Amino acid sequence: MREIQLQLNQTQKLRLQKVLETLESQSSIPNSDSSVTISDSISVNHEDGVLKGHGTTDHNGEVVATLCGIVERVNKLVYVRTLRSRYKPEDGDIVIGRVVEVAQKCWRLDINCSQNAYLMLSAMNMPDGVQRRRTAVDELNMRRIFEEGDVICAEVRRSQHDDIHLQARSQKYGKLNAGQLLTVAPYLVKRQKQHFHHLEKFDVDLILGCNGFVWVGEHVEARDVMVEDPVNLSDPQVLIPNENSVSLEEQDKNYTALETRNYICRAANAVRVLSTLGFTITLESIKEVIDLSISANLDIHDMFGSEFCVLVAEKEAERRSSSKRKR
Amino acid sequence: MEMDRPDGRSPNQLRPLACSRSVLHRAHGSATWAQGETKVLAAVYGPKAGTKKNENPEKASIEIIWKPNTGHIGQADREYEMILKKTFESICIRTIYPNTTTSIVVQVVHDDGALLPCAINAACAALVDAGIPLRHLAVAICCSVTDNNCIILDPSKQEEEKAKAFAYLVFPNTTVSVVPEKSLQAGSDPMAHGIITSVTHGAMSVDDYLHCLERGRATTQRLSEFLRKNMEPKSTREASKAG
Repeated sequence: MREIQLQLNQTQKLRLQKVLETLESQSSIPNSDSSVTISDSISVNHEDGVLKGHGTTDHNGEVVATLCGIVERVNKLVYVRTLRSRYKPEDGDIVIGRVVEVAQKCWRLDINCSQNAYLMLSAMNMPDGVQRRRTAVDELNMRRIFEEGDVICAEVRRSQHDDIHLQARSQKYGKLNAGQLLTVAPYLVKRQKQHFHHLEKFDVDLILGCNGFVWVGEHVEARDVMVEDPVNLSDPQVLIPNENSVSLEEQDKNYTALETRNYICRAANAVRVLSTLGFTITLESIKEVIDLSISANLDIHDMFGSEFCVLVAEKEAERRSSSKRKR
Repeated sequence: MEMDRPDGRSPNQLRPLACSRSVLHRAHGSATWAQGETKVLAAVYGPKAGTKKNENPEKASIEIIWKPNTGHIGQADREYEMILKKTFESICIRTIYPNTTTSIVVQVVHDDGALLPCAINAACAALVDAGIPLRHLAVAICCSVTDNNCIILDPSKQEEEKAKAFAYLVFPNTTVSVVPEKSLQAGSDPMAHGIITSVTHGAMSVDDYLHCLERGRATTQRLSEFLRKNMEPKSTREASKAG
């Protein structure tokens, strides 16, 4: 999560300062009284009967904060929300992880969390697409599907007994090739309806993992094996994946056009700039940064320059103020 | 009793404090704390699954690794590890994450007196940075008694070596309420808050020790203010930027 070190000269510093001040004044946090540090007591109406949530504890009848953050109140629940915390997986989150270990009947993935996640063999579609019991042969062939170091997109299943289990049953999950994996702070990626985005102009796939891993890569059509080859499935010989034929196909597909690679790098740099500035990463903000960089005719590596970062900050402040006025 | 300190400070004056958080990118939480020339870097990793054999699995356990600036780990370092472990076990709320281990790695960058208090402050800031729930913050200072029975705070290495006795004291920080009127009430009754750790070296009289406690507790107010200011602006700014 290394940030870009910005060397700002005096005018750029002033401009950035001004932008940050505008953003602060626009922000929806009503008063700074609601931010607490550890062992601050939180004012509650004791007659109502208060539910003490995360980040609070009872001390001599007073509700005291145990974390630094903002106090949130929902009806009777009072809790402290930290601003920079580790990613906590919730059911249905889309996450991207890297395989760390191939274990018995499961893969262990690193998902930027306090513990590694498990992807069970039974939670993964077989390459031939048939739904069947996983046999010992399947276990021995686990490496044909995923190996150590592969980047995988999956969904969080019910996290039970302190273990994080993932599932990758749909065609849109699975191994990710031909692209870049970026690490940003987990709080910059908010949970939304859609995490899979496709930038049509550039033919680039964008996956925003809730755990702070963002994938920018070549566009892949989600193939549904069941629909494509109904004839072949009936033939038992085709069930075993034929290594030679797959590798020939893949060699054709392996070559990514230079144009696409440029766009992938540009999108990745846009995400890096946004994460350095600390702005939320959404499809709109990434599109804006890319458009800004193209309209300014910047080379891809020039996107890390201090001038561009200040421009991005100013544009973002403009965008937020205009969206507020619309409301 | 007037005391001439080599660097010209008054007996109650602390050295300039500097604290920065999130210095290490791969650690879950990290902080550096500098008091004058003494500088310590602390990193927190955790909570990680599993506890060691001797530890109670119903509670979170804390593991301290002390790394001196030169040489191998010796007996004195093991003693520091034990002191820090006991201090932080009383601060952290151990029932929240049972059967986990939180590791705190303390690296001494430069030692110029009052090393243990500096380390405790750094580790506390690192725990806050990692987002681990704490009951209260630990504020540590060093008081030393000189040959002419004068009590000075935050001695440098020279002063520590010449002193008759010195004590490392760790207090919980003073509470400030979100409702401003209440904080005045809390400030007027400082003795009610208790003490977390006290480590003494050398021989001093009981009266001297009680004076040290008083002076130390009065200084915790200043240190708490510094800690609070250090933690607040960053959080509100980040929240407004993230939108």
